[in-house]
Amino acid sequence: MAETSVALRRRDGLGLVLGLLSIVSFLGALWMVFGYAPREATMGDVQRIFYFHVASAWVGFFGFFVTFVAGIVYLTRADRRWDIVAHASAQVGLAFITMTVLTGMLWAKPAWGVYWTWEPRLTISAVQWLLYVAYAMLRGSVMSPEREARFAAVYGIVAFVTVPLSWFAIRWWRTIHPQIVSSEGMAITPRMLYTLFASLAAFTLVYATLLRQRIRLANARDRLELLRLAQES
Amino acid sequence: MIEIAGLTKSFGPRHALASISLTVSRGEFVVLAGPNGAGKTTLLRILATLLRPTSGKLKVAGVDPLKVGPLARRQIGYLSHRTLLYDDLTAEQNLRFYARIYGIEDAEARIADLLARVDLTDRRRDLVRTYSRGMQQRLAVARTLLHGPQLLLLDEPYTGLDPVAADSLTALLTDLHAEGHTLLLTSHALENAALTGRRAVVLLCGRVVYDGAITDPAVFATHYRQLVSQAMSSARPASPAAPKPDRPDSAADVSGRARKLDYLRQVLAVVGKDLTAELHTREIFSAMAVFAILAMLIFSFALDLRGAVARAAAPGVLWSAIAFAGTLGLSRSMAREQESGGMDGLLLSPADRTVILFGKALGSLVVMVALEAVLVPLATVLFNVNLLNPGVVAVLVLGTVGYALVGTLLAAMAVNTRAREVMLPILLLPLVVPLLIAAVQATSGLLEGLRWADLRGWTQLLVVYDLLIAAASLLTFETVVEA
Repeated sequence: MAETSVALRRRDGLGLVLGLLSIVSFLGALWMVFGYAPREATMGDVQRIFYFHVASAWVGFFGFFVTFVAGIVYLTRADRRWDIVAHASAQVGLAFITMTVLTGMLWAKPAWGVYWTWEPRLTISAVQWLLYVAYAMLRGSVMSPEREARFAAVYGIVAFVTVPLSWFAIRWWRTIHPQIVSSEGMAITPRMLYTLFASLAAFTLVYATLLRQRIRLANARDRLELLRLAQES
Repeated sequence: MIEIAGLTKSFGPRHALASISLTVSRGEFVVLAGPNGAGKTTLLRILATLLRPTSGKLKVAGVDPLKVGPLARRQIGYLSHRTLLYDDLTAEQNLRFYARIYGIEDAEARIADLLARVDLTDRRRDLVRTYSRGMQQRLAVARTLLHGPQLLLLDEPYTGLDPVAADSLTALLTDLHAEGHTLLLTSHALENAALTGRRAVVLLCGRVVYDGAITDPAVFATHYRQLVSQAMSSARPASPAAPKPDRPDSAADVSGRARKLDYLRQVLAVVGKDLTAELHTREIFSAMAVFAILAMLIFSFALDLRGAVARAAAPGVLWSAIAFAGTLGLSRSMAREQESGGMDGLLLSPADRTVILFGKALGSLVVMVALEAVLVPLATVLFNVNLLNPGVVAVLVLGTVGYALVGTLLAAMAVNTRAREVMLPILLLPLVVPLLIAAVQATSGLLEGLRWADLRGWTQLLVVYDLLIAAASLLTFETVVEA
């Protein structure tokens, strides 16, 4: 038992490193958000939500991108490992997009006077949240594991089609969403920009850590199922 | 005719077939026996190309069905647990549909011959849903033989038949064997005297545990029971007979058939079949129309739509009604395939899988356009707006094409889920929101008197959406409909 524990710890050395890096970078990002970045002149401290909002949105979209890519690879190779990656990334991505929507609502109240407004970009974010909730429901509703993987891969690919629509929506449609990146350059100061980059790095590391843990959990579940079947037979 | 080496099929971590090796010569009559869950149906479905094996080598009629599926499927006739017939079509219409999908020449004569052979000529114009179980099974046999396959895979063909119908089927199978067909049949009726002299293969827990001749069916049935009870404790691999492999069927070169005209004919066959079934029942169109009208009625009082408010809301109400009613139609259309086993029937044919996608989507598109032909004049009157203009029609077509395509793809998934009754709207509606926003805004712009050029952003979004969805559906549909 002791040998097994040691082996597991050794095998997850990367997980340990990722976890430590996540904690350190997240603490650093928190210090930059509250101690380094300047107070925004018009909105005050509430603007600091922006660093969490944008970082979680980036990680959420990146998570769905990984699901999209892993889905394509699964369909071409039929290798269960890629299905596990796709599933894990969608779960983590959904958690971060939920955070994006919630932080967006918290920011919208003082900024726009309402928690929610049906402007196009917010609507697309809500649609994407619903898409990946539907993705999770689809996975839970298919009985055959192989078919579940195939259906989920296809749905993950089709769902991701809405990501470019979301990105371009800000230009195609009239919108009241703040445009941080435009043809005229960044609308924030250098300190704000460095803080944003620190948040993006921290959230990306948290994503990688969570993804790794979800994948390990899925692999452990598979091994348990095999042991159960072996015992039954 | 069949060569299997090291064939394995896993469902998740469970092995349904565990490294099976088996050879069946041309003209053989093989009985595949085994208790429920032994892997018999899985093996037959793999041979019929309805399931992909996890590993192993496989040849049917000299070709690898995983590489040249359409070529192999022309040589295979598969009689499933289900009849794979459409209840809302007549016997003739069912066989005519499959004849068009298989591209059979002189189909009418072939259909007449087969209906006479299975003694259904007098009932050929009756809907299949009015047939007894025995009659349906006889028609299913006719469907299995329609394209002249050399290999017949028969999964429990005696299930549900009375003794007279069973004798009739036995006589038919004996004739087919005498004509040179290769038969691989699963059965629990091992005492049947007609099995004398046949080769028996017994499967247990996904392994071959016996392979030999049946000299006396009654003795074999007893031996089989002992074998199963013994093998339950220690399954052992069999040493299968090793007849020489068959030659490739050079006459069945169908590469030239993959032509655009054939493809179009097959797509139109699926559309024609769906519309014929709908004309017989009118259940999809009437349900969609009533539901859409109800939706418009509910919106009118829920949102207190009067005067200018009603005119402003008309495009949104119209598109919402179309979208909600559309989920009903798409769901029911695919459920029809599922209930009848028609999807398996289509998958057994040499037709490209995308034929099913485009055929089903086009059928749904026709029904949805018919619905819009009713809803648009109605909305024009109810909301006092001019929806009857060419621009609105173009937007309706652009929006409905994308909706029907993505709806067909997702409906094929939804029918295979536990929550099939509710899954389609959950999967579909979030995905069509960008399409609906663009369609509503474009329709509103046209009602406000804007020109088509002024709406370029919205119409571009509709076109981009349609193209992306078409590409994604085209690339992934085969994966979705695989069992």
